[in-house]
Amino acid sequence: MPLDDRDLLELHRLMVIARVLDLAAAKLYGGHFPAEGEEAVVVGSFYGLDPEDVLAPHYRGPQIVFHMRGMPLTEIFLMLLGRATSYSRGRAPAFSGPVELGFVPWMGGDLGPSIGLATGAAFALRYRRTRRVTVHAVGDGTTNRGDFHEAVNLAGLWRLPIVYVIQNNHWSISMPYSRITLAKDLADRAAGYGIPGQVVDGNDALAVHAAVQAAVARAREGLGPSLIEAKTYRLRGHWAGDPTGYRDPAEVEAWRQRDPIARHEALLAERGLLDPAAARAVWTAQEAAVQAAVATAEAAPPAGEAELGLDQVFA
Amino acid sequence: MARRLTFQEALVEAIRQEMVRDGRVFLVGQDVGAMGGALQSTKGLLPAFGPERVWDAPISEAAMAGITAGAALFGTRPILDLSFGEFLPYIMPTIVNHAALVHWGTAGRARVPLLVRTKIGDGPYRGHPQCYEAWLPHVPGLKVVMPSSAYDAKGLMLAGLRDGNIVLFLEHMYLYHSVREEVPEEEYTVPIGTAKVVREGRDVTAVATAWMVHKALAAARELAREGIELEVVDLRTLAPLDRETVLASVAKTGRLVVAHDAWRIGGFGGEVAAVVAEEGFHLLKAPIVRVGAPHVPLPVSLTLRKAMLPDARDVAGAARKVLAR
Repeated sequence: MPLDDRDLLELHRLMVIARVLDLAAAKLYGGHFPAEGEEAVVVGSFYGLDPEDVLAPHYRGPQIVFHMRGMPLTEIFLMLLGRATSYSRGRAPAFSGPVELGFVPWMGGDLGPSIGLATGAAFALRYRRTRRVTVHAVGDGTTNRGDFHEAVNLAGLWRLPIVYVIQNNHWSISMPYSRITLAKDLADRAAGYGIPGQVVDGNDALAVHAAVQAAVARAREGLGPSLIEAKTYRLRGHWAGDPTGYRDPAEVEAWRQRDPIARHEALLAERGLLDPAAARAVWTAQEAAVQAAVATAEAAPPAGEAELGLDQVFA
Repeated sequence: MARRLTFQEALVEAIRQEMVRDGRVFLVGQDVGAMGGALQSTKGLLPAFGPERVWDAPISEAAMAGITAGAALFGTRPILDLSFGEFLPYIMPTIVNHAALVHWGTAGRARVPLLVRTKIGDGPYRGHPQCYEAWLPHVPGLKVVMPSSAYDAKGLMLAGLRDGNIVLFLEHMYLYHSVREEVPEEEYTVPIGTAKVVREGRDVTAVATAWMVHKALAAARELAREGIELEVVDLRTLAPLDRETVLASVAKTGRLVVAHDAWRIGGFGGEVAAVVAEEGFHLLKAPIVRVGAPHVPLPVSLTLRKAMLPDARDVAGAARKVLAR
């Protein structure tokens, strides 16, 4: 569906929430995986999907997608803090989304299995003869796992309704993109599986959204998976406390000049939808909402022995 | 009505009956379609149910694990036919790091009703004889089943297919086409987590799994000629472990031999021995003896393999040893 003015404003609001909550999360918890700079990929990929579609966002930046599916900000911070009243009661990673909101759980700390699990969710949607799809985002680093090759090949072979978005932020912890592959574009790997592949500007929310929506429409028609590589940049460390001594600050600064939210705001201003003062008001409102959520979550009880869940290991 | 079925026939019958009963059940694996599965593990299922229920997969075990576990999360009940236990390492990241944790990690909101079947152990076919079962019960959230008879194979398969958890169903290749025994045609379940005393005896308890149960029974016949009565407990399930049946038998005999054809070091027999030592030390009249393979890789040559794998004589020898103390 083409985006109207309301959508453009909503994309802005969501990216602002993503940024604000990410900065708050990084301040609160050194183990958080910051997504600053990658908001256009995350919000653009998961915006405008059917409520019954299954979502499997990347571990970096999924919180805004949880919120887009109805999870209150407070719950997001309860998860990040691992509190007793959080979704998993402090047991699972904060980037694992609620299955009842249509998220594929992500229980481990390793990369790769999420691709198979998301593909399996798509298999179930096909097996149950729905017209639903799964959208899964993976990092550039994860595309070097054998899991990626096996799952994408099989999804193509069985024409499963899934869209793979490579959230290429150019860094695998301390290793730059140039040190993990000779491939110029990861989207080229699609040709090896006989499926469509496409590179998009990952700092352009509208470009990401358009590419994903076209792939989603294709998947709904039973034509199988697509691979979309959205090129963006990880403005912060791998984890919030990462001192990032391994990279040149000048490179980071250059990418800061291409900030996806500032870019979207320029577009909104150009179209007369949002002047700088109105944009500022959006930021202020979201900062207040996030601060309130953080305060509530911090007051919640920590997880203790009662949350260990010895009786919940088996169904 | 009971007919005489092989282990393999009993397994396929259970799967066929459950696929008829429950449309959510489908099967994924390499060669499960036109070929009918390695060692005929899925014989007749493709003609009966078609390619929408029986999915031939390329050599991609990690993806098969992801696809079946992921599909299990969203309203289906998959069976993964992982041809051989030698391929278990390829599914471990998905199963061990992710799928096994789901029920607990979602505080009971989600489950993964997935049955993974795979063939283990030596057999007449020589290939892929690894016994990696000891790795599995260590992981919280996995049920591990390892039957020794066609009757139990069918009943445990039906129980596994109706379970709400990941069930790893280990099918010993030596048993696959060997013996026929009476198996009821109607559906029945054998509860997961229950061991069974398959031979009563007063002198020594032998706790065994799969093929080793048959070797223990052969040992029992040999020992009976010497006036030694061996009680044989077929564990049937490794996880959850039926501690009560094991401890009740040890309470009766006071002596314990634990036997499997997997490596002795780090083998599941160590866990059984530990449970008895912790909870039944006062019942023991002699130290426990474990029977298992020596700590060398499994050789290809049949004569070498015979030299390596424990047999009935080893079980009988172990029983004499615990009696001598």
